[in-house]
Amino acid sequence: MDPQPSADAGAQLSEQTRTWPYRGPIDPKIPAVKNSGWARNPIDAFILEKLEAKGLTAAPPASKRTLARRLYFDLVGMPPSPEELNAFLNDVSSDAYEKLVDRLLADPRYGERWGRHWLDLVRYSETEGLEGDVQLGRSRVILALSKIGGNPWRYRDWVIDAFNSDMPYDRFALWQVGGGDEHSKTRSSYEPDIRNYVALGFLRMAPWDVEDFVSEQQRQVYLNEVTATTASVFLGLTLGCAQCHDHKYDPIPTKDFYRFQAFFNAIYVSDAEVPYQDKAFREKAEAKIRYYTDQLKEGSAKKARDDYEKLLLDKLIPLKIKEAAGRKLEAQDLRLELRNTEQKIFTPAEQARHAELEADFNRMGDAEEKQALEACEKVLLEKLRDAYDRKLADPLARFRRLTVEDVRASMPVDGAERKYFSADEAEKWQKLTDQIEVMQRRLARWKPVALSVANVAGPPIGPPLPRTHVLIRGDFRQPGEGVDPGFPSAITGNSEPAVIDSDRYRQFPTRGRRITLARWIASPENPLTARVMVNRIWQHHFGRGIVGTPNDFGRNGERPTHPELLDWLAQRFVKQNWSVKAIHRLILTSNTWRQSADNHESAAAAAKIDPENRLLSHFSRQRLEAEEVRDTILFLSGRLNLERGGPSVFPRLPEELSDLAKPVPAGGLQWEPNEKEEDERRRSVYIFQRRSLPLPMMAAFDATVFNETCPVRSVTTTPLQALSFMNGSLVNEEAAYLAARVKKDAAEDRRAQVRRLFEIVLNRAPDTDEMSRMVDFPGSLESLSRILLSSNELMYVE
Amino acid sequence: MDMPLKKPLSRREVLFGSYLGLGGLAFLDLLASDLGAATVVPQQPLAPKPPHLPAKAKRCIFLFLEGGVSQMDTFEYKPALERHAGKQMPKVEGAVGEVATFAAAPNRVIPPVAAFRQRGKSGLWVSDLLPNLAGCVDDMGFVYGIKVENNNHPPAVYHALTGSIFPGSPSVGAWMTYGLGTENQNLPGFVVLGSGSPAVGGAAIWSNGYLPAAYQGTLFRTTTPVPVVDLKPRPGMTLQQQRSELDLLRWLNEKHAAERTFAGDLEARIAAYEVAFRMQSEAPELIDLSRESDATRNLYGLDDPVARTMGRQCLMARRMVERGVRFVMVMHGSTKPWDDHGDIKTRLPLHCHEVDQPIAGLLKDLKSRGLLEETLVVWASEMGRTPFDNNLTTDKPGRDHNQYGLVMWMAGGDVRGGSSFGQTDDFGTRAAGEMIHMRDLHSTVLRLMGLDQNQLTYLNQGRLKKLTDIGGRIIKEIVTV
Repeated sequence: MDPQPSADAGAQLSEQTRTWPYRGPIDPKIPAVKNSGWARNPIDAFILEKLEAKGLTAAPPASKRTLARRLYFDLVGMPPSPEELNAFLNDVSSDAYEKLVDRLLADPRYGERWGRHWLDLVRYSETEGLEGDVQLGRSRVILALSKIGGNPWRYRDWVIDAFNSDMPYDRFALWQVGGGDEHSKTRSSYEPDIRNYVALGFLRMAPWDVEDFVSEQQRQVYLNEVTATTASVFLGLTLGCAQCHDHKYDPIPTKDFYRFQAFFNAIYVSDAEVPYQDKAFREKAEAKIRYYTDQLKEGSAKKARDDYEKLLLDKLIPLKIKEAAGRKLEAQDLRLELRNTEQKIFTPAEQARHAELEADFNRMGDAEEKQALEACEKVLLEKLRDAYDRKLADPLARFRRLTVEDVRASMPVDGAERKYFSADEAEKWQKLTDQIEVMQRRLARWKPVALSVANVAGPPIGPPLPRTHVLIRGDFRQPGEGVDPGFPSAITGNSEPAVIDSDRYRQFPTRGRRITLARWIASPENPLTARVMVNRIWQHHFGRGIVGTPNDFGRNGERPTHPELLDWLAQRFVKQNWSVKAIHRLILTSNTWRQSADNHESAAAAAKIDPENRLLSHFSRQRLEAEEVRDTILFLSGRLNLERGGPSVFPRLPEELSDLAKPVPAGGLQWEPNEKEEDERRRSVYIFQRRSLPLPMMAAFDATVFNETCPVRSVTTTPLQALSFMNGSLVNEEAAYLAARVKKDAAEDRRAQVRRLFEIVLNRAPDTDEMSRMVDFPGSLESLSRILLSSNELMYVE
Repeated sequence: MDMPLKKPLSRREVLFGSYLGLGGLAFLDLLASDLGAATVVPQQPLAPKPPHLPAKAKRCIFLFLEGGVSQMDTFEYKPALERHAGKQMPKVEGAVGEVATFAAAPNRVIPPVAAFRQRGKSGLWVSDLLPNLAGCVDDMGFVYGIKVENNNHPPAVYHALTGSIFPGSPSVGAWMTYGLGTENQNLPGFVVLGSGSPAVGGAAIWSNGYLPAAYQGTLFRTTTPVPVVDLKPRPGMTLQQQRSELDLLRWLNEKHAAERTFAGDLEARIAAYEVAFRMQSEAPELIDLSRESDATRNLYGLDDPVARTMGRQCLMARRMVERGVRFVMVMHGSTKPWDDHGDIKTRLPLHCHEVDQPIAGLLKDLKSRGLLEETLVVWASEMGRTPFDNNLTTDKPGRDHNQYGLVMWMAGGDVRGGSSFGQTDDFGTRAAGEMIHMRDLHSTVLRLMGLDQNQLTYLNQGRLKKLTDIGGRIIKEIVTV
């Protein structure tokens, strides 16, 4: 493979290969099928056609109960309550099902469930990964250069709200790539809509290495990540494979990778204050900010630490005196003496000179500064010794100048020798200090600052944008040919530069690159955007996409199982104003989606011809995703806290990992206490996403904190999952609450209890065998609750 | 209907009946390329699979010494450091560009912390700080002057353990269990023996990355009473009571499965509960060292308070490979102990003391039990260090990071004992001959386990990804295959 980018590979390839998926959707004919009565909508016709061609039949419809459970899990991520189910079962109107679909699409839990699918794609995280794993938007290296302090959760809430409000997908895509980059065609001094800065969190989720000191490299790594992720997420294009050499499978020359990257060339990492739109939320946040500001100024924790530090200071002073008595005068003694601005030993010039050198040394810490300071101190120390010897100054007076800062500096660092304070004292101080730090973090998290990007200034404030270059073998030290922003030639058929959508007078010369790309992505003419998104929607309803590799529509990905259906859906999507909910409705009301998970008629044939059920001869049973597992258990015990939005929460770590909640030298607290007890029981989408510390139970169920875009979660079955159910705190604690809930409804009668338990957990009555086994079981109601919570029937939706 | 409904063909039977018939990974690969990233996850993802190529080693103990072990104070003798001790570091002959450092420009040369001596029949040089390991050199194959892709810990750690400088790729242990499965289904196939605080890089260094979660490392913490999260029944729960609950659960689940067609996934979850139940008793037995003889305990240094922690980890590692765990990663210390930026004279002898007897004990113990033949032992760190001082402002010098100077050794399996490869300049700053990349080490480690780097692939983000990325060269000089 030639690692060199070939100059006109794009132009050549585009002629021969402008086939699927680079060509726009065709308008497919809705196929005629034998069993035409089964086709409730065109989806069914496309599906049935392939089944009939293979001699397979569709499964009978699932029962109303099964369907309701499936629908609840699918749309809101948890089952119906017995009362909700009964209301549906008792609704005999002909559109009872359609009404339920609409009701659940309007349920705010829908956005929390479907927003999470999107968060997987955009590698949502709240920390940088890598050294210290500090929060995104808190990096001290960027702090020196730019405005930061953004809160990743703002983006998470933006996504959830976008799904709930059915934001048209073209706008949804537009703002995530082009937010803050738009302009007015008529006005000369247009300010971008600040609300769209929140969507730009998409461009800030990449892992970020604060300790990479080679700034040029760090920027290139960032741009590469953003380029590859944008193409994967919105276009299903593995552009990232062309970073170092021409794509090995798809018609994407290296040059196209950098032409695409050039759209991001003006990015300036900078966070933005975006006021909360929701009035109630704004008031809540303002109250929190006031509270923590006050607490940090004069709250009880602050006071407790102040008092304790004073106590420690009283202990420190005699220790320092004693220590100093046993040795010669040192620089630290001199520095302490110099804190007294009133002292008479040194001239004002000497004091000023020392202060300057000390400040230099503290700032730089380099050898040169150190030598200069030492030389100065050597002379002054002589003078100090002389002054003490001649009793011109009280040698003990300086110790009164010790402050709480010295207390903090005297705390033992990571296993170092304990000179002044006992382990208990250090631990108590650390605890008090942690409380303050946690409040500082909470204060910052409630502030309305969003993780965002801006554009560099450009003329007349700064220089024009540098040109993007093809990088030979992807190496930032080896720039090759210069390129201008341009769309992938495989799609456009040419390698012309894109016409940048700039403002009328080019008053903002760096503005317009991202929005140009964003508009091209969000265009009905783009052959990929709509297809890629409807495929994702399909995937989360059926367990796999029409294209089974949703981030890769290229040659190395899978061919669509039903290409005409995909095109038909993509066109419907655009026609219906890119409404995601409209596609949900279409799919959920099809007979295809309503099939039973068992197909007795076709089972044997399907197992042979289509073991993966790609042709959909029945509904594919789906294991609950990690978030559904946790949310459902809390929901069934009656303890799920449905509070929406805001800073993330910290469910307890397993006891075996609880020491991770203690501070470590590199990163402060890894895991924090919650603001209030019930935060522990919020929905899983609100769990703090720390890249280096995914919750073990969530990770065991295939939901880690993602570092790169994740289009399909794996579904694995492991003994560790079983252990987390058998012995973990969640299932065990909630089983007790579930038992209490059942007892409240069904009193002491074991049969009534079992019936109620089945009704709550499985939305059905136990059969005779089940009833007798459960009644005869020697264990408690809590045991029975734990057993049902662990059952496959709950764990797999069908 | 040509098949009874009561016992339908499970997906496992469909897939793995034919999978076993076809013989191993070829079929998995077929699946991967056929189905793409949404690859069907086998119902028994950890079932043992035959290697691609013949190899003696069946299990691997991967020792990771975090922080960047100083090569010139341990296994790489550089007399020039003695001659230049305390003097300004000269320009290294043939070095291109700046010598890579993290915090400091080249300055005073620090001599080796202790004397070196030639050891064994092979006459390889080892520092006096490692007297016990020095006795094992004839079993080891060394590689000097390895390059990693980054000069700071987290990216370098990711690189050494996953082949990528970013978090999110599968750890070498995940690749190995993906390729080979594991022999003991009652224990995890990939175990991480940690000793305390979180490692730099966190869980991402033993992550399954884009591979299915079944291949993620399971952290055994050796300093807490319960080694694995959620391993112990909750207070008040007896094993009998738990068993009776699991029996009822099993009855429910089997009834549920029997009523359904396509039940492979359901059966797998039923099986996982049984394994979990057994794991509860097997795993504590595994870490219970009380039945080891005094001689064994002494061999690993368990009576030496400095060496005890690592000694426990190494002894547990042996117990694990004995019981068929495929891959054991032993993390030495916590929070990069070997990152000796300062006071290397005091710190380095301490770390060496912590690991010398335990690791030597492990090698000797494996050998005397006939296990070394089948067990590959790897010593690794994420980077080497510089010959010169890190920072002139302290009077207790230490060494800076050096991404070009890593030394690794291997033992057991098809490793050529007493061999070495790689030549660095007089100061040990970087390779003087052929550039040896971490990929080369990864491909060698895979080969020693019978895995072909080009066959061990997984489709992700449009590419058939592999541990060695663009491919590495197997370092034939230190292996016999």
